[in-house]
Amino acid sequence: MLALVRPDSWNLPLFLHVLGATLTFGTTTTVAVVGFAGLQGDRERAAWLRSLNFWVAFGLLVPSFILMRGTALWILDKEFPGGHNEPGWVSVGFAVSEPGALLVLLMVILAWFGRSPRSRVAVAIPWLASILLVGLAIAWYAMSAKPGS
Amino acid sequence: MSLYQWLLFFHVTGAFFLIGGIVVAGTLNLAAILKDRPPSQVATLYGLIRFAVPLIGVGLLLTLAIGLWLVHNVGYSYGDTWIVLAIVLWVVAGALGNVDGKYQRQTGELAARLAAEGDASTPELRARLRNPRALVISYGSGLMAFAVLGLMIWKPGV
Repeated sequence: MLALVRPDSWNLPLFLHVLGATLTFGTTTTVAVVGFAGLQGDRERAAWLRSLNFWVAFGLLVPSFILMRGTALWILDKEFPGGHNEPGWVSVGFAVSEPGALLVLLMVILAWFGRSPRSRVAVAIPWLASILLVGLAIAWYAMSAKPGS
Repeated sequence: MSLYQWLLFFHVTGAFFLIGGIVVAGTLNLAAILKDRPPSQVATLYGLIRFAVPLIGVGLLLTLAIGLWLVHNVGYSYGDTWIVLAIVLWVVAGALGNVDGKYQRQTGELAARLAAEGDASTPELRARLRNPRALVISYGSGLMAFAVLGLMIWKPGV
């Protein structure tokens, strides 16, 4: 029943955190969809879809992820100042977002090198995005249901 | 876990699906209109938007149905300002999204037809892609979903 007793000063960081998380989910889904589409069809089609995927990953996914992660620290600092008495569901957030940041970085790098239709690294991008989607689902389960609390 | 925790999880899942789907559709739509593309590319992008449709549909259903259940479970009033506003925005956003979906499907069909007939763009396709009224409806419906998210956090009047 946290929502019922949440101080007003938590609202902005919480809104930005949820906004960042939903945008991260949407942009990661876009990277997966465009990535899988870029593995099919002729070379010309693959080339422009892979180029588009780099810009989606770099221009949209990265800022969304930064918004989600940055505002997570902001709300955490308000809710559990000094990191004291953090419940288990907070740890789940870190367990997903820290490897998640590496996945995002890896996707951007691979998307850059994968722009060529001859490149084989582009195959990995939609699968990495799918793994991140599973991680995000686990995180939003932990953040919303707060099991154990 | 309590019923409240499960309801909140499915309600939030609905919000992720809804806004995630809107982001997928909005991004692909933006990619189609920001650059002069041949009809084959426009048709491909509009074809990929179909993957966002089930996300948006399930998201709309979960946010409303579980949201109303949550109102009852927590003990809010269905007449609270933020709840009434959220439902109104949900209905308007859904209706505008439906209008936009039909328009975009027709645009995708036109692009696919032009792609099959030589892949040369026409003034009609360019006009449909950059129709200001259609863009206002499209992005307006998306922004309303973000406004509902804000209402869920701030709960004005509580």
